[in-house]
Amino acid sequence: MALPLTFAASILVTGLVGVAAERVCVKPLARASPLMTLLATLSLGLVIRESVLIFYPRGADPKPFPQLLPQGGFEVGGVAIRYESLVILGIGLAAMVAVDRVINRTKMGAAIRAVAQEPEAAQMMGVNLDRTVDATFFLGSGLAAVAGILSGLYYSEIHFIMGITGGVIGFSAAAIGGLGNVYGAIVGGLLFGVLQTTAAALIPRGSEFRDVVAFAVVMLFLVFKPSGILGEKSVERV
Amino acid sequence: MSHDLALVWLAEAAVFTLVVAGILAERPWALGATGAAIVAAGALVRFVPRLGTTLAGAFARRRPAALGAGVVLALALPLALRSSPYWTFVATLALLYVTIGQGLNLQIGTAGVINLAGAAFAGLGGYSVGLLTVAAGWPSWLAVLVGPWVAVAVGTILFVPILKTRGHYLALVTIAFVFIFNILMNNLEFTGGPQGIKNIPTLRLLGHAFTTKPVLAGVELPSHANFYYAALVMAGLTTWVLRRLHDSWLGLALNTLRDDEIAARCCGVSITRGKLLAFSIGNFFIGLGGAFYAVMVGFVSPPDFDFGYSLVMLSVIIIGGVDSIPGVVLGACLLVPLPERFRFLHEYRLLLYGVVIVVMLLYRPQGLWPAQVRRYR
Repeated sequence: MALPLTFAASILVTGLVGVAAERVCVKPLARASPLMTLLATLSLGLVIRESVLIFYPRGADPKPFPQLLPQGGFEVGGVAIRYESLVILGIGLAAMVAVDRVINRTKMGAAIRAVAQEPEAAQMMGVNLDRTVDATFFLGSGLAAVAGILSGLYYSEIHFIMGITGGVIGFSAAAIGGLGNVYGAIVGGLLFGVLQTTAAALIPRGSEFRDVVAFAVVMLFLVFKPSGILGEKSVERV
Repeated sequence: MSHDLALVWLAEAAVFTLVVAGILAERPWALGATGAAIVAAGALVRFVPRLGTTLAGAFARRRPAALGAGVVLALALPLALRSSPYWTFVATLALLYVTIGQGLNLQIGTAGVINLAGAAFAGLGGYSVGLLTVAAGWPSWLAVLVGPWVAVAVGTILFVPILKTRGHYLALVTIAFVFIFNILMNNLEFTGGPQGIKNIPTLRLLGHAFTTKPVLAGVELPSHANFYYAALVMAGLTTWVLRRLHDSWLGLALNTLRDDEIAARCCGVSITRGKLLAFSIGNFFIGLGGAFYAVMVGFVSPPDFDFGYSLVMLSVIIIGGVDSIPGVVLGACLLVPLPERFRFLHEYRLLLYGVVIVVMLLYRPQGLWPAQVRRYR
């Protein structure tokens, strides 16, 4: 029972780190251009990665990740399915449903949506801006921790650099799915994964180039449908 | 006023002496004395009443003389660093970062086009030089001139459609592009994979190879002095060209579209054309820096151009001052040599760059040498 508890603690801590990061380098820049926030958070990411590399014992090496999920699998019509994959898929879907519930069914979710649309008006309606932003960062960072743990369980190893590709892929998936739509992230993530796997299967030495193919498709998507698959086209008023 | 002139030259000579002393001081007492002198000089300018404004006024009134003396001192630097040849290499690297930083500053600072793929575009320049010289047998100087155009071409073709998108998409795609570039360079056959391209022939001028030590009036200069002078010309020209561009109507138009796209469009500024122009010109200079790096070092490999270097390039312009041409020069001259001076910090280099960016953004977002509002006369 110790391991799941550790996981829960790690999700909690990561969420709190996310809130701390927001307090340190997002909130003070609220009045500056969004670009500054982007640069600050990217640099903070660099700081965190380098800190793990330098201060964690032998931080440059991949670390083994404990096994928790049942090993083995079964075969359906020539397709081998690992129990692990099923569990990970299940957890991922459950997380998505939970996020959707929080965003669309709770008061906090309504506050988050209101702040995303128009922070000032939301505050006039009695939304506590600071608390809402904190909650968003807690939720987002906690979900990132879930993803990191699942990735560790799947590959049975973790590495200090694993987050950055994951982060870029995650943003890409959310972008092609449609930013601001929970199910868009699922659709985008699945699409990205299918693209990677197809590339790996169809192209000679494709496993090395699978990310190249997937990112190329993301770029095409941004050209032809910048609002994403499920996103709505936004109209800007001056 | 002739005492302006004396003041300007005295100040520049003092800075030059402190820099050289700071670089060459090895023994603890020498290092301590230099550090104390630098702190004292800083405190003097900061706390003696009117000294700072007097100096600034003198520099403003005597611009040509100040620039001229600056050039003379820059030319004399390898002479002063003769006892430790490695530092000429570091100074050359700083000049490369000036070139790259000016290009990136045009994109990010002037036009607000977030390019986080600086490392990839420098890499395109560098790899083009490697392929053109080693595989195609071109002379190095021609390859260095063609290399940047490869960066421009790839950037233009891939990013024209994406420049139209708003918000963080462009930044995201440029990050993805650095990864794509690295994966490709690591796995393609003709780029040498993880080993990269070795034995890139060096530059030659009138049959004189750049790797031989130049002898000037009987004094032998460090082996990188040739590259230093070439990089000085390159960085100087780049800075001059981009200064002119920044002060022209085009620079103003780019600033407008950076600050408010809708307002800019209402004033007749074509958003896509402006962004594309800034992106392409910037990539030219970033690619030029990468191409020069390739002939200077003689080999290129994927780790030379990974995402970390994009962030280093970015920190150059954030420290110096976003949209500030002299700021970029200052940023590169501070950021590249300092980690070399404190070698025990080498391991923490990227960590410190990250911390520096965050701290600067929070407490001094305008940079050490903030951009000035244009004055039209």
